[in-house]
Amino acid sequence: MSKGLKLTDILVTIVISVGFGILYKIWGPLYYAVKPLGIHMDQLIYGMWFMTATVAFLIIRKPGVAFLAEVAASSGEFLMGSEFGLEVLFYGIIQGLFAELLLMAFRYKRYDLLVVSVAGLSSCLGSLLLDFYKGYIGDLSTWNLILYVAFRFIGTILFTGVLAISIVNSLEATGVTNLVRSSSKKDFDTLNQ
Amino acid sequence: MEYITSIKNLNLKFPKEEGLLFNDLSISIRKGEKVLLLGPSGCGKSTLLQVLTGLIPRSMDVPLKSESIQIPDSWGFVFQDPDSQFCMPYVDEEIAFVLENLRIPREEMTDRIKKLLTTVGLQLDNIHNKIQALSGGMKQRLALASVLALDPEVIFLDEPTALIDDDGTAQVWDTVKSIADDKTLIIVEHKIDQIIDIIDRIIVFTDDGTIMADGEPAYVFSHFKAEIKRFGIWYPNAWGEYIKEKANITYNNYSDTVLNLDNFRGYRGKVPAITLEKATVQSGEWIAVTGANGAGKSTLILSLMQLLRTTGEYKIEGRPIRSFSDLEKKTYFVFQNPEYQFLTNRVIDELTYDIRQRVSPDVMKQANDLLSLFGLKDKQNQHPYHLSLGQKRRLSVATAFLQDPKILLLDEPTFGQDSKNTFKLLELLQEESRKGTIIIMVTHDLNIIHHFATRVWEVKGGKVICDWKKDEIKREEGRMYEYTY
Amino acid sequence: MNTPIKESWLHKVNPALKLLILAILFVFAVTIHQLNVMIPFTLTVSILFFLCTGQPYRNLFLILIPFFLVFFSTSLSMILFGKGDTTLFKWGIIHVTEESLYRGVHLGFRALVFALMGITFVLTTKPVKLFYSLMQQLKLQPKYAYSFMAAIRLIPIMFEEFKTIRDAQKVRGLHSEKGVWSKLKRIKALPIPLLSQSIRRAFRIAVAMEAKRFNSLQERTFYYQVGFSTYDLLFISYIVSSIGLSYWLASEFPLFPVTDVRY
Ligand SMILES: Nc1ncnc2c1ncn2[C@@H]1O[C@H](COP(=O)(O)OP(=O)(O)OP(=O)(O)O)[C@@H](O)[C@H]1O
Ligand SMILES: Nc1ncnc2c1ncn2[C@@H]1O[C@H](COP(=O)(O)OP(=O)(O)OP(=O)(O)O)[C@@H](O)[C@H]1O
Ligand SMILES: [Mg+2]
Ligand SMILES: [Mg+2]
Repeated sequence: MSKGLKLTDILVTIVISVGFGILYKIWGPLYYAVKPLGIHMDQLIYGMWFMTATVAFLIIRKPGVAFLAEVAASSGEFLMGSEFGLEVLFYGIIQGLFAELLLMAFRYKRYDLLVVSVAGLSSCLGSLLLDFYKGYIGDLSTWNLILYVAFRFIGTILFTGVLAISIVNSLEATGVTNLVRSSSKKDFDTLNQ
Repeated sequence: MEYITSIKNLNLKFPKEEGLLFNDLSISIRKGEKVLLLGPSGCGKSTLLQVLTGLIPRSMDVPLKSESIQIPDSWGFVFQDPDSQFCMPYVDEEIAFVLENLRIPREEMTDRIKKLLTTVGLQLDNIHNKIQALSGGMKQRLALASVLALDPEVIFLDEPTALIDDDGTAQVWDTVKSIADDKTLIIVEHKIDQIIDIIDRIIVFTDDGTIMADGEPAYVFSHFKAEIKRFGIWYPNAWGEYIKEKANITYNNYSDTVLNLDNFRGYRGKVPAITLEKATVQSGEWIAVTGANGAGKSTLILSLMQLLRTTGEYKIEGRPIRSFSDLEKKTYFVFQNPEYQFLTNRVIDELTYDIRQRVSPDVMKQANDLLSLFGLKDKQNQHPYHLSLGQKRRLSVATAFLQDPKILLLDEPTFGQDSKNTFKLLELLQEESRKGTIIIMVTHDLNIIHHFATRVWEVKGGKVICDWKKDEIKREEGRMYEYTY
Repeated sequence: MNTPIKESWLHKVNPALKLLILAILFVFAVTIHQLNVMIPFTLTVSILFFLCTGQPYRNLFLILIPFFLVFFSTSLSMILFGKGDTTLFKWGIIHVTEESLYRGVHLGFRALVFALMGITFVLTTKPVKLFYSLMQQLKLQPKYAYSFMAAIRLIPIMFEEFKTIRDAQKVRGLHSEKGVWSKLKRIKALPIPLLSQSIRRAFRIAVAMEAKRFNSLQERTFYYQVGFSTYDLLFISYIVSSIGLSYWLASEFPLFPVTDVRY
C-alpha cells in the first residue's frame, strides 16, 4: 500500500506530523488540565489527536498518507517524552489504521468535509476501542459514558472535519500544495502551443 | 563533440502559471567546462539547473516537454539554503548518509569522512559535531564535502553563498577552485568577482529565459556589454561605471537627533547577545552594519525593533522605548529571510497589507509604481512564495517604502539581487533617507558601504566595536578591506 | 534536557529490542487488572527511571510533575463517576464507591507506569540509533527511517521559525489591535505560514536527499552497526523478574483486599 509513496511525500507527511506531535505534547497537559472538570469536557478537545491524518491526507491525497501521518505524529509525541508514554504510539497506529480504512473505502477519491469527518469518526471509534480495554470506560455509569462518547464525537467532527478542511483550504491558497500534487494533463497540453 | 549534459528544445511551464518559462531552449555543456549562468533575477536559472540534473521532473513535478534531455552520469548539487539540504543532525552522519547511498563499506567511512572534511577545509576537533552549531559558511562547505563524497563529474552550484558573509564566501569559492580541476562546474551566481577567474564559458539569459550570449568571459563581456547592462546583470566593474554615471551622491544635512542609545543591550535568553555603548543618530543618516556571520548584526537590529529583550537607554525623538508597542510604527523592519514576512496570498496585497484599512487610490498607485519599478508588475497576482529568490527579497523590501517610518531597519536587502535591482533599491532607500528617514542596514557589500552609507557600525563577537562617520570610512578603508579579504 | 548525562547499561540495550519489549509490556500492563500487581510493577519500572536514565535528580523530579497530574486526573473521573455498589460518598451526580475508588487508583497507576516506561525509553535512546536499529533489526524501509531522522533534525529549526513568523507578523502590524477577537485572529494567522514553511522545507530536503543519490530500493551500508549484547539479556531478565516479583508480592503480601478492579 505505502510502497507507492515517494520520498517527497513521505518526508512532507512526516514533517507535518512531527509538527503536530509538538502540538500534541502541549495538548496533552491541556487535556489533563481540563479533565478534572469531570463531566468529560476534555473529550471535546480529543479530536485534535485525529487531525494529523486528515490534514496530511487532504494535502497529499495519496493512499497510506493518513496512516503514516498518525503514526508519525504519535512517534514524534512519544520521542519528545509524552506524559502518555508508549500509549500514544498504540493509539496512533489504531487511529491511523481506522482513518486509512475509511479513506480506502472511498478509493481515496474524495477530499470533502463529509469524507474527512467520517474518517475522523472512524479514528475516534478506534480510540474508543482502546479506551474500552485500557481505560475501563465501560465501567462508567451509563449517562456518563454517553456524555463521554458524544463529546468525543462532536470534538472529532470539529477538528478532523471543519478545522482540517479550513486549514488545508488556506494552504491551497498559498500554492504550497502544488509541490506534492501531480501536475494536471491540462498543464502539459499548454506546453504544445 | 562529447557533451556531458544537454537539453534540446525545452518547453517548461509552472502549473497554474500563464506563460512558458522556457520556450524551445537548447543548451549543451562539454566535459570539463566551467560554466557560469548569468541572467536577471527571475529568468529561470535555478529552474534550469534542476532540469539539467533531472530533479525536475523526477523529484519535482513540473510540466515540461523536450526533444531530448541528457543528464550527467554523476553529479552533485549545492543548494542555496544551508539549512534545507541536510537530513542528519551531525556532520559525520551527514557525509556518512551519502557514503551509505553509495554502499561504501562501513570500515572505510570514518577515513573518508575525515579526508573529505580536510579537502573542503572544514577542520573540526571532532567529526561528530552538531550541524546546527556551524556557521553558514561552514555549512556550505559541509554541503560541498557531501557532494564531493559522490565523486561527481559535474557539480551544480546555485548561489551557494547567497546567505553567507564575505569570509564564508571566499572560503566556499576557494574550496570550489581547489577541487575544480577535473570537474565540470555549472554555477549560478550574481556576484561574479570572486569566481570569474576560473570560468571559461558564460551563458547569459534575458529575462524571458532565452539565451542572449554564450562564450568565453572576455568575449561575452566585450561584445554584449550594452545588453548585459540593459538587462541589469552584474559584470566586472559594474559598480565603478555606475558611480561614474551618477552625479555625486548627495544627502541632506539634518541636525535633529532622532535616536539615542546608551549602554544598550539585546538579550537572547539570559545573556546579552549584543552590546552598544553609546550612539546618537540624526535623521537622514544611513548606517551600514557589518561583521562576520554570527557576529550579532541581526541580533542588533532585532533588538532595535524590540523583538528581543533589551536593557539600557533607547530613545526615539526623546521618548523612551521599552517595548514593541512604544515604537508605534515609527520603525519598520525587513527580515533576512523574506518568506517570513509574507502574510497575504498575492504580491499586490502584500504591499498594501499594513495600510489596508485605507487603501486610497494614491496608495494603490504608489504600490503599482513600486511593482513596475522592481519588475514585479506581471507577477502581481502570483503568490509571494512562488517568486524567485531575488524577487521575494525585492518584494519584502518594497513593503517598507509604503510605510513612511522614522527608522528603517533592513537585514541584507541586496543579497541575491541583479545589478539593476540593487541600484534601484539603493536609490529608493536614498530617497527615503533624503526625506529624513534613518536607515540602518545590515550589509556585507563594501561598495554600498563606500558609496551610500554615511556611517558604519562594525559588529564583532556580540559588540558594536566601531562607529565611523562618512569621512572616517574613507580613512579606514585600508583596514576594512583587510578585514574582509 | 541539555545537561550531560551518565550513560548506564540501559543506554546500551538494542533500541529496537527495547522498543519491542516496551510494546509487549504495554500490552501486558493493559491485562493487569489487580491493583496489588500494579503497584509493585510500577515500583520496578520507577527503579529503572530513577537509577538508569543518567539524568540529575532535579530533572527527574521536574519530569515527574506532569506525570502526577496525569495520575490524578486519570483516577478522578473513574473514582467520581465509575460504577460500583459499596457507596462511600454521594453528592449530586458524584457517586464514589469502593469499587470505583480502587479502579480509579488502578487506572492512575496504569497511566503512571506507561508514562514512566515511555520516558525511560526516551531518556536512554538516541533517535538516530533507534532508527538505524529499526532499519537493521526490523527491516524498516530506509525512506521512512531517514525521513524521521530529518524531521527530528528540523524540530529546533521549526521552533526558531515559529518565533520568527510571530515577530514578522508583529512587525507587519498584525498584533497591534487589542481584544479577544484580534487575539483569536493572531492564533489563526500562525498555523498556515508555519505549515507551509515546513512543507517547503521538507520538500527541499527530500530533493536534496535525492540529489545525494538516496534510493530506498537499493541495498545500503550503514555507518552505525547496531547489534546485540549481553545488556539485552540483562534487560530481558530484569523485566521478566520484575513481572514475576510483582505477581509474587501480590499473592503473598496483598496491600488491598480487591483482586480484580473491573466491574
Ligand atoms: N513553484 C513555482 N510556481 C510558479 N512559478 C514559479 C515557481 N517557481 C518559480 N517560479 C517562477 O519562475 C521564474 C524563474 O524562477 P527561478 O527561481 O528559476 O529564477 P532565477 O533565475 O533563479 O532567479 P533568482 O536569480 O532571483 O534566484 C520566476 O519568475 C518565478 O516567479
Ligand atoms: N534564535 C537564537 N537563539 C539563540 N542564539 C542565537 C539565535 N540566533 C542567533 N543566535 C546566536 O547569536 C549570535 C549572533 O547571531 P546573529 O544572527 O545576530 O548574527 P549575524 O551577524 O546576523 O550573522 P549572519 O551574517 O549569519 O546573519 C550567533 O552566535 C548565533 O549563534
Ligand atoms: Mg535562483
Ligand atoms: Mg543575520
